[in-house]
Amino acid sequence: MFGIEINMSPGEVNVQTTQERGHNTQELSSNAVNKIISIADTADPVIRQQAEAFKERMFYVIFHTLNQAVESDRTTLYNQLKKQGHDDMAEILRKL
Amino acid sequence: MAITQAMCTSFKTELLTGTHNFTNSSGNTFKIALYTSSASLGAGTTAYTTSNEVSGTGYTAAGAALTNVTPSADGTTAITDFSDVTWSSSTITARGALIYNDSVSDKAVLVLDFGADKASSSGDFTIEFPAAAAATAIIRIA
Repeated sequence: MFGIEINMSPGEVNVQTTQERGHNTQELSSNAVNKIISIADTADPVIRQQAEAFKERMFYVIFHTLNQAVESDRTTLYNQLKKQGHDDMAEILRKL
Repeated sequence: MAITQAMCTSFKTELLTGTHNFTNSSGNTFKIALYTSSASLGAGTTAYTTSNEVSGTGYTAAGAALTNVTPSADGTTAITDFSDVTWSSSTITARGALIYNDSVSDKAVLVLDFGADKASSSGDFTIEFPAAAAATAIIRIA
Protein backbone atom coordinates (compact mmCIF):
# COMPACT_ATOMS: atom_id res chain seq x y z
CA MET A 1 0.00 0.00 0.00
CA PHE A 2 1.38 3.41 -0.89
CA GLY A 3 0.28 7.00 -1.21
CA ILE A 4 1.45 9.98 -3.23
CA GLU A 5 1.69 13.34 -1.53
CA ILE A 6 1.06 16.48 -3.54
CA ASN A 7 2.42 19.70 -2.09
CA MET A 8 0.71 22.99 -2.79
CA SER A 9 1.53 26.39 -1.38
CA PRO A 10 1.11 29.87 -2.82
CA GLY A 11 4.20 31.70 -4.06
CA GLU A 12 5.29 34.99 -2.56
CA VAL A 13 4.01 38.12 -4.25
CA ASN A 14 5.68 41.49 -4.05
CA VAL A 15 3.43 44.49 -3.45
CA GLN A 16 4.73 47.81 -4.70
CA THR A 17 3.03 51.11 -4.06
CA THR A 18 3.82 54.68 -5.01
CA GLN A 19 2.83 58.03 -3.56
CA GLU A 20 1.71 60.76 -5.94
CA ARG A 21 3.49 59.28 -8.94
CA GLY A 22 3.42 56.19 -11.10
CA HIS A 23 6.10 53.53 -11.25
CA ASN A 24 9.26 54.72 -12.96
CA THR A 25 11.07 52.83 -15.68
CA GLN A 26 13.71 51.51 -13.30
CA GLU A 27 11.09 49.90 -11.08
CA LEU A 28 9.24 48.44 -14.05
CA SER A 29 12.47 47.14 -15.57
CA SER A 30 13.29 45.41 -12.30
CA ASN A 31 9.84 43.77 -12.24
CA ALA A 32 10.20 42.64 -15.83
CA VAL A 33 13.64 41.10 -15.40
CA ASN A 34 12.56 39.30 -12.22
CA LYS A 35 9.65 37.87 -14.15
CA ILE A 36 11.81 36.73 -17.06
CA ILE A 37 14.82 35.36 -15.19
CA SER A 38 14.63 33.34 -11.99
CA ILE A 39 17.85 31.95 -10.54
CA ALA A 40 17.55 29.04 -8.14
CA ASP A 41 19.34 29.28 -4.80
CA THR A 42 20.67 25.81 -5.50
CA ALA A 43 22.24 26.73 -8.85
CA ASP A 44 25.91 25.95 -9.41
CA PRO A 45 27.96 29.05 -8.39
CA VAL A 46 29.54 29.42 -11.84
CA ILE A 47 26.20 29.14 -13.62
CA ARG A 48 24.68 31.44 -11.04
CA GLN A 49 27.33 34.07 -11.72
CA GLN A 50 26.69 33.89 -15.47
CA ALA A 51 22.94 34.07 -14.90
CA GLU A 52 23.33 37.11 -12.66
CA ALA A 53 25.44 38.84 -15.33
CA PHE A 54 22.86 38.02 -17.99
CA LYS A 55 20.09 39.27 -15.73
CA GLU A 56 21.89 42.57 -15.21
CA ARG A 57 22.38 42.96 -18.95
CA MET A 58 18.70 42.22 -19.56
CA PHE A 59 17.76 44.82 -16.96
CA TYR A 60 19.56 47.55 -18.88
CA VAL A 61 18.08 46.44 -22.22
CA ILE A 62 14.56 46.62 -20.79
CA PHE A 63 15.32 49.87 -18.92
CA HIS A 64 16.58 51.52 -22.09
CA THR A 65 13.63 50.27 -24.14
CA LEU A 66 11.09 51.48 -21.59
CA ASN A 67 12.73 54.90 -21.47
CA GLN A 68 12.51 55.07 -25.25
CA ALA A 69 8.83 54.08 -25.09
CA VAL A 70 8.10 56.82 -22.56
CA GLU A 71 9.94 59.44 -24.63
CA SER A 72 8.21 58.29 -27.81
CA ASP A 73 4.77 58.41 -26.20
CA ARG A 74 5.48 61.88 -24.85
CA THR A 75 6.37 63.03 -28.37
CA THR A 76 3.03 61.71 -29.62
CA LEU A 77 1.13 63.39 -26.76
CA TYR A 78 3.10 66.63 -27.24
CA ASN A 79 2.00 66.80 -30.85
CA GLN A 80 -1.60 65.92 -30.02
CA LEU A 81 -1.75 68.69 -27.41
CA LYS A 82 -0.14 71.20 -29.82
CA LYS A 83 -2.68 70.30 -32.53
CA GLN A 84 -5.51 70.92 -30.07
CA GLY A 85 -4.08 74.35 -29.18
CA HIS A 86 -2.79 73.42 -25.71
CA ASP A 87 0.72 74.78 -26.25
CA ASP A 88 1.32 75.39 -22.52
CA MET A 89 0.46 71.81 -21.58
CA ALA A 90 2.55 70.53 -24.48
CA GLU A 91 5.54 72.47 -23.14
CA ILE A 92 5.05 71.06 -19.63
CA LEU A 93 5.04 67.57 -21.08
CA ARG A 94 8.11 68.23 -23.22
CA LYS A 95 10.08 69.44 -20.18
CA LEU A 96 9.28 66.40 -18.04
CA MET B 1 -9.64 38.85 12.48
CA ALA B 2 -6.62 37.95 10.43
CA ILE B 3 -5.43 37.22 6.95
CA THR B 4 -3.40 34.03 6.63
CA GLN B 5 -1.67 33.19 3.37
CA ALA B 6 -2.86 29.82 2.08
CA MET B 7 -4.15 27.77 -0.80
CA CYS B 8 -7.85 27.48 -0.01
CA THR B 9 -8.82 23.98 1.05
CA SER B 10 -11.95 24.10 -1.09
CA PHE B 11 -9.75 24.90 -4.09
CA LYS B 12 -7.67 21.76 -3.54
CA THR B 13 -10.84 19.69 -3.52
CA GLU B 14 -12.16 21.46 -6.59
CA LEU B 15 -8.97 20.67 -8.48
CA LEU B 16 -9.85 17.01 -8.14
CA THR B 17 -13.30 17.64 -9.55
CA GLY B 18 -12.05 19.69 -12.51
CA THR B 19 -13.74 22.90 -11.39
CA HIS B 20 -11.06 25.37 -12.38
CA ASN B 21 -9.47 26.01 -15.77
CA PHE B 22 -6.42 28.28 -15.80
CA THR B 23 -5.88 28.12 -19.58
CA ASN B 24 -5.24 31.52 -21.09
CA SER B 25 -8.14 32.94 -23.14
CA SER B 26 -10.29 29.79 -23.29
CA GLY B 27 -10.12 29.14 -19.53
CA ASN B 28 -11.98 30.72 -16.62
CA THR B 29 -11.69 34.35 -15.58
CA PHE B 30 -9.84 34.82 -12.30
CA LYS B 31 -9.94 37.99 -10.25
CA ILE B 32 -7.99 39.42 -7.36
CA ALA B 33 -9.74 41.39 -4.63
CA LEU B 34 -7.99 43.45 -1.94
CA TYR B 35 -8.86 43.40 1.76
CA THR B 36 -8.17 45.47 4.84
CA SER B 37 -6.50 44.14 7.97
CA SER B 38 -9.96 43.63 9.48
CA ALA B 39 -10.71 40.79 7.05
CA SER B 40 -10.75 37.18 8.10
CA LEU B 41 -9.31 35.10 5.27
CA GLY B 42 -7.35 31.86 5.14
CA ALA B 43 -7.40 28.23 4.11
CA GLY B 44 -11.03 27.98 5.13
CA THR B 45 -12.17 30.72 2.74
CA THR B 46 -14.40 29.20 0.08
CA ALA B 47 -15.56 32.15 -2.03
CA TYR B 48 -15.17 35.86 -2.71
CA THR B 49 -16.70 38.05 -0.03
CA THR B 50 -17.36 41.77 0.13
CA SER B 51 -16.74 41.77 3.88
CA ASN B 52 -13.83 44.11 4.69
CA GLU B 53 -12.95 44.52 1.03
CA VAL B 54 -10.90 47.62 0.31
CA SER B 55 -12.59 50.76 -0.88
CA GLY B 56 -10.79 53.77 -2.25
CA THR B 57 -10.06 55.88 -5.28
CA GLY B 58 -9.18 53.75 -8.27
CA TYR B 59 -10.49 50.51 -6.76
CA THR B 60 -13.73 48.84 -7.87
CA ALA B 61 -15.50 46.28 -5.69
CA ALA B 62 -14.74 42.67 -6.72
CA GLY B 63 -11.22 43.67 -7.67
CA ALA B 64 -9.33 43.35 -10.94
CA ALA B 65 -9.34 40.64 -13.58
CA LEU B 66 -6.13 38.66 -13.87
CA THR B 67 -4.46 37.54 -17.07
CA ASN B 68 -3.84 33.80 -16.79
CA VAL B 69 -0.69 32.16 -18.02
CA THR B 70 -1.55 28.69 -19.31
CA PRO B 71 -0.31 26.01 -16.87
CA SER B 72 2.91 24.24 -17.75
CA ALA B 73 5.48 21.95 -16.15
CA ASP B 74 8.85 22.95 -14.74
CA GLY B 75 10.57 19.65 -14.14
CA THR B 76 8.06 17.56 -12.23
CA THR B 77 6.20 20.57 -10.83
CA ALA B 78 3.04 21.90 -12.47
CA ILE B 79 2.87 25.68 -12.39
CA THR B 80 0.65 28.51 -13.45
CA ASP B 81 1.07 32.24 -13.26
CA PHE B 82 -0.71 35.55 -13.68
CA SER B 83 0.44 38.83 -15.17
CA ASP B 84 1.19 41.59 -12.67
CA VAL B 85 -1.81 43.73 -11.81
CA THR B 86 -1.82 47.48 -11.12
CA TRP B 87 -4.45 49.83 -9.76
CA SER B 88 -3.31 53.11 -11.29
CA SER B 89 -3.91 56.59 -9.85
CA SER B 90 -5.27 54.90 -6.75
CA THR B 91 -5.49 55.68 -3.06
CA ILE B 92 -5.74 52.28 -1.39
CA THR B 93 -4.65 50.62 1.82
CA ALA B 94 -4.70 46.80 1.81
CA ARG B 95 -3.33 44.05 4.01
CA GLY B 96 -4.10 41.05 1.80
CA ALA B 97 -5.85 39.69 -1.24
CA LEU B 98 -8.04 36.86 -2.45
CA ILE B 99 -7.72 35.29 -5.87
CA TYR B 100 -10.99 33.72 -6.95
CA ASN B 101 -12.69 32.21 -9.96
CA ASP B 102 -15.06 34.80 -11.37
CA SER B 103 -16.41 32.28 -13.90
CA VAL B 104 -17.38 29.62 -11.37
CA SER B 105 -19.47 31.07 -8.55
CA ASP B 106 -16.59 33.24 -7.26
CA LYS B 107 -14.94 30.17 -5.76
CA ALA B 108 -11.78 30.96 -3.78
CA VAL B 109 -8.34 29.92 -5.03
CA LEU B 110 -5.80 31.37 -2.64
CA VAL B 111 -5.30 34.00 0.01
CA LEU B 112 -2.33 36.37 0.01
CA ASP B 113 -1.02 38.06 3.15
CA PHE B 114 1.08 41.16 2.40
CA GLY B 115 2.66 40.99 5.85
CA ALA B 116 1.72 44.59 6.62
CA ASP B 117 -0.61 47.26 5.35
CA LYS B 118 0.42 48.46 1.90
CA ALA B 119 -0.79 51.85 0.77
CA SER B 120 -0.83 53.89 -2.41
CA SER B 121 -1.70 57.58 -2.48
CA SER B 122 -2.61 59.02 -5.87
CA GLY B 123 -0.19 56.45 -7.24
CA ASP B 124 0.17 52.86 -8.37
CA PHE B 125 -0.72 49.82 -6.29
CA THR B 126 1.00 46.90 -7.99
CA ILE B 127 1.02 43.21 -7.18
CA GLU B 128 4.05 41.62 -8.75
CA PHE B 129 3.62 37.89 -9.14
CA PRO B 130 6.70 35.69 -8.74
CA ALA B 131 8.57 34.11 -11.62
CA ALA B 132 6.82 31.11 -13.14
CA ALA B 133 9.22 28.44 -11.93
CA ALA B 134 8.98 25.29 -9.83
CA ALA B 135 10.32 26.96 -6.70
CA THR B 136 8.56 30.30 -7.01
CA ALA B 137 5.33 30.28 -9.07
CA ILE B 138 2.19 31.62 -7.47
CA ILE B 139 0.42 28.29 -7.94
CA ARG B 140 2.51 25.15 -8.10
CA ILE B 141 1.76 21.49 -7.59
CA ALA B 142 4.86 19.52 -6.66
